[in-house]
Amino acid sequence: MKKKFRVEGVDCADCAAKMEEGIKKIDGVKSAKINFLTEKLTIEADDMKFDQIIKLAEAEMDKVDSGARIIR
Amino acid sequence: MAVFDKEQKKNFICILISGLIICLIILFKIYSRLNIDEQPTYLRLLIYLIPYIIVGHQVILSSISNLSKGKIFDENFLMTIASIGAFVVGEYTEAVAVMLLYQIGELFQDYAVNKSRRSIKELMEIAPASAVREGKDGKYEVIDPSDVKIDDILIIKPGEKVPVDGVIINGEGEVNTSALTGESIPKYLKEGDEILSGYVNGEKLLKIKANKLYDDSTVAIILELVEESLDKKSKSEKFITKFSRYYTPVVVISAILLFIIPSILTMNWREWLVRACTFLVISCPCALVISVPLAFFGGVGAASRAGILVKGSNYLEALSKVKTIITDKTGTLTTGEFKVSNVYLTSSYSEEYVLKIAASLESYSTHPIAKSICDAYDELYGESRNNKFNKEKKNNLLEINEVKNISGLGITGNLDGKIIAAGNYRLMNEYKVDIKADINSNEYSFEDTLVYVTKDNKLIGIISISDKEKLGAKDTLRMLKSDGIERIVMLTGDKKVVAEKIANNLGISEYYSELLPQDKVKIVEDLMEENKDDKNNLYAYIGDGINDAPVLSRVDVGIAMGGAGSDAAIEAADIVIMDDELNRIEQAIRISKRTTFISWQNIIFALSIKVIFLILGAFGIIGMWWAVFADVGVAIICILNSMRMLKNNQVIKKLDFSKNM
Repeated sequence: MKKKFRVEGVDCADCAAKMEEGIKKIDGVKSAKINFLTEKLTIEADDMKFDQIIKLAEAEMDKVDSGARIIR
Repeated sequence: MAVFDKEQKKNFICILISGLIICLIILFKIYSRLNIDEQPTYLRLLIYLIPYIIVGHQVILSSISNLSKGKIFDENFLMTIASIGAFVVGEYTEAVAVMLLYQIGELFQDYAVNKSRRSIKELMEIAPASAVREGKDGKYEVIDPSDVKIDDILIIKPGEKVPVDGVIINGEGEVNTSALTGESIPKYLKEGDEILSGYVNGEKLLKIKANKLYDDSTVAIILELVEESLDKKSKSEKFITKFSRYYTPVVVISAILLFIIPSILTMNWREWLVRACTFLVISCPCALVISVPLAFFGGVGAASRAGILVKGSNYLEALSKVKTIITDKTGTLTTGEFKVSNVYLTSSYSEEYVLKIAASLESYSTHPIAKSICDAYDELYGESRNNKFNKEKKNNLLEINEVKNISGLGITGNLDGKIIAAGNYRLMNEYKVDIKADINSNEYSFEDTLVYVTKDNKLIGIISISDKEKLGAKDTLRMLKSDGIERIVMLTGDKKVVAEKIANNLGISEYYSELLPQDKVKIVEDLMEENKDDKNNLYAYIGDGINDAPVLSRVDVGIAMGGAGSDAAIEAADIVIMDDELNRIEQAIRISKRTTFISWQNIIFALSIKVIFLILGAFGIIGMWWAVFADVGVAIICILNSMRMLKNNQVIKKLDFSKNM
């Protein structure tokens, strides 16, 4: 499943790139892209674990930039 | 203050208070007998810590929390270390100033980023928010555009955006197409006309029938394209990403070395600590990481506002390096609006019959020439095309079997057991039809496109079709040359005489005529072979037909004329010109050059300032104040520079040729 989310609190482009790397490493994630300017996260991941993956992705984002979150 | 959001406002107040305190301290130093520097160290530290904490508490807190998450090289941490370093060596004013300047810079940077995000949202605002559906019971309901189904009847109120592509079934009036085409003059539409999502209705109420779902509608496709375009990164963006991966660690390691080695050698660890901290402050590559993609986004945005869809930053960058433009003739240099100019009879059949045979065959083709023949027949004798859209009307075209559409030649079919054909001289050669007809050759113009019509392998008539050059085509080509396009090559399937005439009129010295679609690919490949090793000498191809699709995907930058163009061409192209105006290409090239220029400006500016300041910092010539400038100041300058691309309307202003024609 491929889905697009709005994100919030991504404050620098370098951080967005780091978040992307982090999310890609989560088990079950096929691809991930954070667009710093349009504040969008596109994520492709296993259907079965999708919700859990989103949670992990958000944790990953928060690790890079405190307060960064996915709007659901 | 409306310009800041809540958090920015809080930061702004902290900066203000802390700045005021530091000013007071400095004033005290100069004018009062109570010189703070003469107080005992702990008291001094306490006094300086007040403004420091006020302005820097957030930075310190988040660096601690980041540290606990195992993240070391982040800006907050670097600033905290640098300012603590300054405290340790007793440079209290410097310590507060570093934090203060850093926060001011961050505030500006935040503001600039928010502002660009807003501009981007404005660009994206062509999407409709809702649709009004007329139910079977005649009641209206407001629904989400994505809930519209095919064949739904929708009401478009004056001033509202058209939610999905459809056909007008009731009402007529002007619509504003500028969001899609960049064209400022409204378009007049009436019942039966196609209406695209993203158009803004003028002053009349329109009723439309949806013929596409929202996701397949023009506006959704455009938005998707613009957003996706950011994912296809240009070379300069890739360079920056790669660069920043190495830059920060290298600088941090050098900072550590800069502290350890000279400290051991000179035993003056205080001095070298300051210098190392200066290094740390300069180590963030943010200026580049933000500003370069921003410039490209601005470029893609500026282009889309002008009705030029660019499918990726990489194509915008490539366009700036195009030196050779290869162009199709029909629909690109010429309007593609063919008109039957004459019908010459070569047998006893009437003009009506010749046109009827031709139209019956050509109704199977979407080629502009085919359309012109059908239109001519419509106009004079009936309604050949309408039958496709309205089954009620009687089709008075001939029933033809075994229709064959031979690309680049023409169409053949079987009418009551007799072979009929309509096509160019090559089709005639294929069928061995004698086209040296028994008519006075002076009568028809050789400069027109000729369609030969045969029945039972005998020529029964010749239809001559004329096309005209686009308004301003000549001027545009001349301007392209002054924009650095070194070579313009025209390719056409038309006869040599037709090609020659157009080429002469437009000042094109190089052209290839009488080409079949596969010949076009071959010629383009041969042309590209000449400069295949030169990465700064790229090729663009402009075309609009289905037969252009292979070439469009073959060249470095494929440009399709979107309005008149076939879906295959638009799909294969990298850049789509929505309103088919030739001068948009000139505009696109200008936008691309400006974008790449601005992004390289940023790269060179940011890198050289950082390198210079690193060197000056290492030698102790500049202090931490300047280091903060090199970090945040440069980022702000680069962002502002890139934002010119979002704002500048000069480059997208449409050129008006009608005045001097």
